[in-house]
Amino acid sequence: MYKTWWKILAAALVVYTAIAGLLLEVPRLAILNETIRNLYFHVPMWFAMVVLFTISVWYSVKSLGTQKEEYDIKAVESANAGIIFGVLGIVTGAVWAKFTWGQFWSFDPKQNFAAISLLLYFAYFILRNAIDEEQKRAKIAAIYNIFAFPMMVVLLFVLPRLQDSLHPGNGGNPGFNSYDLDSRMRMVFYPACLGWIIIGYWIYTLRLRIKTIENSQL
Amino acid sequence: MQLAQQVKHLIKKEVVLEWRSKYALNGVLLYVVSTVFVCYMSFLSIEKLTWNALFWIIMLFASINAIAKSFLQESKGRQLYIYTLVSPTALILAKTIYNSLLMIILTVIALLFYTLVFDFPKDTDILMYFVAAILGSLSFSTIFTMVSAIASKTGNGGMLMAILSFPIIIPVLIVLIKFAKNAVDGLDRAVSLDEIGLLGVINVLVMTVALLLFPYLWRD
Amino acid sequence: MKKLLSILLLLFTSLTLFAQNNDIEMADQLRNNGKIYIVVICIVIILAGLLFYLFSLDKRLKLLEKKSDRKN
Repeated sequence: MYKTWWKILAAALVVYTAIAGLLLEVPRLAILNETIRNLYFHVPMWFAMVVLFTISVWYSVKSLGTQKEEYDIKAVESANAGIIFGVLGIVTGAVWAKFTWGQFWSFDPKQNFAAISLLLYFAYFILRNAIDEEQKRAKIAAIYNIFAFPMMVVLLFVLPRLQDSLHPGNGGNPGFNSYDLDSRMRMVFYPACLGWIIIGYWIYTLRLRIKTIENSQL
Repeated sequence: MQLAQQVKHLIKKEVVLEWRSKYALNGVLLYVVSTVFVCYMSFLSIEKLTWNALFWIIMLFASINAIAKSFLQESKGRQLYIYTLVSPTALILAKTIYNSLLMIILTVIALLFYTLVFDFPKDTDILMYFVAAILGSLSFSTIFTMVSAIASKTGNGGMLMAILSFPIIIPVLIVLIKFAKNAVDGLDRAVSLDEIGLLGVINVLVMTVALLLFPYLWRD
Repeated sequence: MKKLLSILLLLFTSLTLFAQNNDIEMADQLRNNGKIYIVVICIVIILAGLLFYLFSLDKRLKLLEKKSDRKN
């Protein structure tokens, strides 16, 4: 957590995606035009969010098993960091949608589900605020987190495949894989995802460190 | 088997309690009937899509009301008493099974009354719609039972119950409405197999997670 | 000179009229150059969000530092 090399790696990856993502050639597509480059900036937000929420659930399981406060804090802070990426993903997605699909909110299944999965975590925080006793709060919040996570997986990965969507890869729309996520785009897309995931983890560790100091000073 | 024995006794206890007061059954039935009646007064006749959506909205709120009290109503003393007697797995199993039974009965009655007021739209696959309604009440009861258990532990359960359960129930509701719409449109039954499978998977998933988690929740 | 200006003006207005008739799409500014500015907006949003976040973290840290100063 305290080493520097992976932070530098993340910074390098993100800088690389900013440069390569804007300068390298991309497939020419109607409607999308140059906005296809948003793939390098909008989609990695979701990857970072999902990874952070997974970390959160992992620590919730651990906190439930061991009853240690440390794991509970980790679960909360990673959920917190995940929410930021979720919000950024939704906002960038809305802007992108405005200029390709016509509206900020087109009631596309994936948009709706992303919003609902954010609601899930807002509910998680409301639940936490509703309980005063710390031990009890850690336990009940962990239970809700674990209970909600399979639903989020269903929401984000199973349901969009069953419905018609404007997103690529769903309901008749060909996926990026089939024609336009060609090898050139992969060269930027995968590093972008990795970079943003690591940055998300970095933010989580920062929050965690601040929180542990705060707790120790109480 | 001890577990089965315990589950049986617990369900019996719930049924006897319910039968004595008839609170949930009558209350929720009254709720459904009055809502349908109000809807009838304001809509008079409705089209297919609204017909379907309206039914699920009524059922959603009816089931939240019916199931919310399954844990919230129990007093601290009685919880402690039950805790000393039976295993938590038996308790959650019993509650879920009892709630499912209650919800199935409620849903069937509600659906019958609903169709009495608003006729089934033309070429509805009535059998499939009943299957959808019953599957829906099953999913509602598995999810809401666990959420009400969580909410009951927080102190101010009523409000939290809604906040906690809505994000979880929405995916189920989306699948259900799609499934029910297939039935209303009278599509071929094979079309809905995907939805039935998905609902089954969700229910099994929720039940296993609930069974795993409830012992932690119960132990104070 | 005046004539020339008026002719130019006329020409210009007719041109814009022409353009308006042809182009139904609105918010044309953002659609120029293959909508590259949408990408710019998205990048700016992400950066702004993260920077805002950094500032809020910074504020928390400042509070902590103040507290620890008082203790020492």
